[in-house]
Amino acid sequence: MVQAMRGQRAASFEWMVLPAVAFVLLMVVFPFGYGIWLSLLEYKLGSPITFVGLGNYAALLKDEQFWNGLRLTFILYLFALLIQLVLGVALGIFIHGIHVLRGLVRTVMVSPFMLPPVVIGMMSIVVLDPAMGVANYLLKSAGLPTSHFLASTNYVIFTVIAIDTWQWTPFVALIVLGGLQALPARVYEAAAIDGALGWRRFVYITLPMLGPTILTAAVLRSVDLLRFFDVIYITTQGGPGFASTTLNIYAYRRGFEFSDIGYASALMITLSSIVLASVLVFSQFRRRLTW
Amino acid sequence: MKRRGFATLITATALSLGSGSALAQAFNWKKHDGQTVNLLLNNHPWSQAVREMAPEFTAKTGIRLRVEIFNEEQFRARLTTQLQAKSSDIDVFMSLKFREGGVYDKAGWFADLTPFLNSPTATAPDFNFNDFGDALRKGETVNGKLVGLPINLEGPLFYWNKDIFAKCNVAEPKFLEEIPEAAAKLKACSARGDATVWAARGIRGAIPYAVSAFIYNSGGDFATPDRKPGLCQPNSVKGVEMYANLLKDYGPPGAANHTFTQVIEMLGQGRLAMTHESSNEFSNIMKFPGRDKDIGVKVLPPGKATGISKPIVFGWGVSISNFSKNKEAAWYFMQWATSNEMQTKLVQRGVAPPRASVFNGLAFKAWTTELPVRQAWANALVEISKTGTDVSFPPSERIIEAREMVGGGVQKVFLGQGAAKDVMCQVDADVVNLK
Repeated sequence: MVQAMRGQRAASFEWMVLPAVAFVLLMVVFPFGYGIWLSLLEYKLGSPITFVGLGNYAALLKDEQFWNGLRLTFILYLFALLIQLVLGVALGIFIHGIHVLRGLVRTVMVSPFMLPPVVIGMMSIVVLDPAMGVANYLLKSAGLPTSHFLASTNYVIFTVIAIDTWQWTPFVALIVLGGLQALPARVYEAAAIDGALGWRRFVYITLPMLGPTILTAAVLRSVDLLRFFDVIYITTQGGPGFASTTLNIYAYRRGFEFSDIGYASALMITLSSIVLASVLVFSQFRRRLTW
Repeated sequence: MKRRGFATLITATALSLGSGSALAQAFNWKKHDGQTVNLLLNNHPWSQAVREMAPEFTAKTGIRLRVEIFNEEQFRARLTTQLQAKSSDIDVFMSLKFREGGVYDKAGWFADLTPFLNSPTATAPDFNFNDFGDALRKGETVNGKLVGLPINLEGPLFYWNKDIFAKCNVAEPKFLEEIPEAAAKLKACSARGDATVWAARGIRGAIPYAVSAFIYNSGGDFATPDRKPGLCQPNSVKGVEMYANLLKDYGPPGAANHTFTQVIEMLGQGRLAMTHESSNEFSNIMKFPGRDKDIGVKVLPPGKATGISKPIVFGWGVSISNFSKNKEAAWYFMQWATSNEMQTKLVQRGVAPPRASVFNGLAFKAWTTELPVRQAWANALVEISKTGTDVSFPPSERIIEAREMVGGGVQKVFLGQGAAKDVMCQVDADVVNLK
């Protein structure tokens, strides 16, 4: 009798998930599916649309700019992620230890990632301008060599990494801070009794227990870094030359400037697959690290 | 008498009916009172002026204008997205017909303006379409169809700071080959202070506009005599080399990311000796204090060896979207925006008028004679309109990509990533391979 009632109740509530299902179908599945369909077409503005199957993907493999974009995307992703996680954890621990003006410190920390990308981009252009920027003025004043920063084919991608790190490290630090505050005090008490203090306590207790938190931050940053667009577009538009033309920038140019919709879709589907794969890998890690 | 009276009555009635019908068919600026016309415009002195003067149009017609202005790349991205989706949200948009006219027409984005132009109820009697120069009218005609109205005339001009030249005792370059010579002297001159010797567009997509006259004046061309890409020809390479070397040896650090905004800022601040920049930017340069006295402007000097002076000249145009639901109201806006009255006002803001009556009119003459630099600018515009070309790309169906390739090649040369000859021959090969 009770079971039957439960079944009836479950059935009566099933319809409530329909809006969520409809939303996912409409906002996620349809656009992605449509993107895949477009990637199978030769679709250029002003030309007849033809079905080319995997032709666009085959062309990607022979496209020098695609490989350049992929290389830059991964350089940006790996370096920025690593630096932001290391600095973010260090900053999180540092703030965790601050007891004076804690609220003010946290507010100041949050400010970089609250700024719109346009502001970050414009600030970067002004500060890092090789001729008139403050950065070179300070370097020169300190007797250090100056740099072309965003105008250097060799350093532009690392300059972009530095800008992103400045903006998003506090975000990682805040996540880590939340994780630190949730760690059980009894573990630390036990560790203290066993004589684990300082660096040993960090390596053997804090870091392993922070694992899931750090992985959460890594997933969030991974998604953002792989599809990083705004600051590059504002500061360099992919230049100088193609030195900061990541996959996202390249796809944008092909799609919107050259109106090559089919090829741009193939680029975006490839990038989306990479983002999805990275999220899946981190999810597997996170499952193993859960305590 | 009675019969005559009746006949008179009939005649009077017929005449009154006739005149009533003529009145009903007459052009009326208030015909679309209450409607809204949406404009999508590129960031340009013309667009800024139109936005500021929009209330005048509303007062005259009752039509409200919703104006959206974006920088060139964002403007094109938004335009493409909206018109690809056949959206009726855009009624009027700007375009460069030589660059994208063919593609937009194939995509069916342009409304045919001829029926409006020929309709006495849709076109003001004093509009006078023939007042636009023949070349400009042809420029707005794509595949035999009138798809736009010209709004300006522009091209890159040679600007130099006379004060810096005088301080360094360097003469104004009379020939193309004298520009690097002057640059070398200026670089060696300490009286120059911290002013940069040379600046020009270094961003890939913006380079073809500025480099073309260097190629032509050096005796080169974008095409070979048999209409194949011609940047690998010796004189074309020479022109590219000169442009690239000027940027490399005398340009500001970071030139690879520069477009007209950075160049004009430097020139306006009096921190640049010379450049090759848009005639459109003249009014912006003149806004800086002191520039009306120390800036010189003229067409890029001709090649000494070749005697050739072939500048770039073209005009932006406005068109009506084929998906617009307010085409006639949009046409009313286009007439007003390109009218003699408006262009006379726009001249004061440094927009070169495409109407012959305005260019030769008293108001424009009075304005130009106020300052020698304005006169020089107007003279340069007359010259480029007579001798210029709008071809700044190798022969290709895909002009946008071909221009990008040219810019990429020049950029490679000034970044030292390859020899000019090798790079430009590769550009030719890549353009041929464009499908």
